[in-house]
Amino acid sequence: MSKDQYATALETTLKEIKNICRGIKSSFIFTKDGEIVAGDSEASDTIKKALHSFQNIREKAEAIGGIHEFYVDGSEGNIQISQVNEMYLATAMSENADTKHLQTITGVIVPTILKLLKDIVRAPTPLKAVPSQQLTVEKVTGFFVSDSAEVDQTILTEWSKFFKGKTIDAVEIQAPNGKTTRCKVKAIEDKRLKEKSLIRIPEKRLQMLKVREEEVVRVKPITP
Amino acid sequence: MSSEEEPAGKREERKSAKKKTRGKNEKLLESLKSIKSREGVIGYILRTSDSASIDMKDPTKIIDYAVLSSTALEAGEDLSKTFELGEIQNVLLKGKDAKILSLKIEDQHLSIFMEKNVDHEKIYKELNI
Repeated sequence: MSKDQYATALETTLKEIKNICRGIKSSFIFTKDGEIVAGDSEASDTIKKALHSFQNIREKAEAIGGIHEFYVDGSEGNIQISQVNEMYLATAMSENADTKHLQTITGVIVPTILKLLKDIVRAPTPLKAVPSQQLTVEKVTGFFVSDSAEVDQTILTEWSKFFKGKTIDAVEIQAPNGKTTRCKVKAIEDKRLKEKSLIRIPEKRLQMLKVREEEVVRVKPITP
Repeated sequence: MSSEEEPAGKREERKSAKKKTRGKNEKLLESLKSIKSREGVIGYILRTSDSASIDMKDPTKIIDYAVLSSTALEAGEDLSKTFELGEIQNVLLKGKDAKILSLKIEDQHLSIFMEKNVDHEKIYKELNI
């Protein structure tokens, strides 16, 4: 099953849910990395921005054991983001929607469909498998250090091939202790450090990851 | 007109508004005290622009909880704008071990931290907002 077929199956599910539950303004499914897999509304920049805020909480939610559900109740509607298997389902509803009914339906249908699709695909997610790289950490310090990590240009070029040549401008770094962070990325400029399987990371980020210099971290690109 | 020459009527009005706010805050703190004593409630943070009341069972987690609750409220505001949900009534963040109920009360931000099995709806009602 291709990525498109997978997305279509999920989109159809969301549409059917919308047909039986009145008051759904918008619904979409996204991965833990914030990539929208399926949705009945277009993945506009505003939604991407909202997802960025959600990712911010995800980074800080360790104190409560990660995010299982996030619910915002507004005077004119509400939105619920729930973890479903390895993804998140977001449903924005109008004020008069029957939230309980909807929660019951989505809580049964979406996980079932996802499980079914997973069984068909026989892979955790149908998204394009981008190879992550194991790179050795070098600390970047200094007064005017930017918040960007730096990796070899050859790695960036290799990654960009997976995204039809698009420029990779952000990565996710995973420490050996399981902590992850996302940051901007650029190519290493210092010639002496090229092609040494290094990742240069600002000191602040290293502290966040609880990683020391010369440790090996896993790095993967974020879909541009 | 200097503040000293302010009409007595206006001064009284201001005084009474201040008194009312103080009364409301005292009531809220009383409710929070009672909520805090419930089983499973971990604590709360009540934040204004220039001060904060914090009551936590485990003080070592104050910073983590404070950062997380304000991030959750900010994200709630972003999502509310994006999906036109109007003014935020409350934000609920559920984790594997605990959950946070955050809300805005006039210019104050309140976050109540509790174990997963605590009935947050009951707590919300108890706040009487």
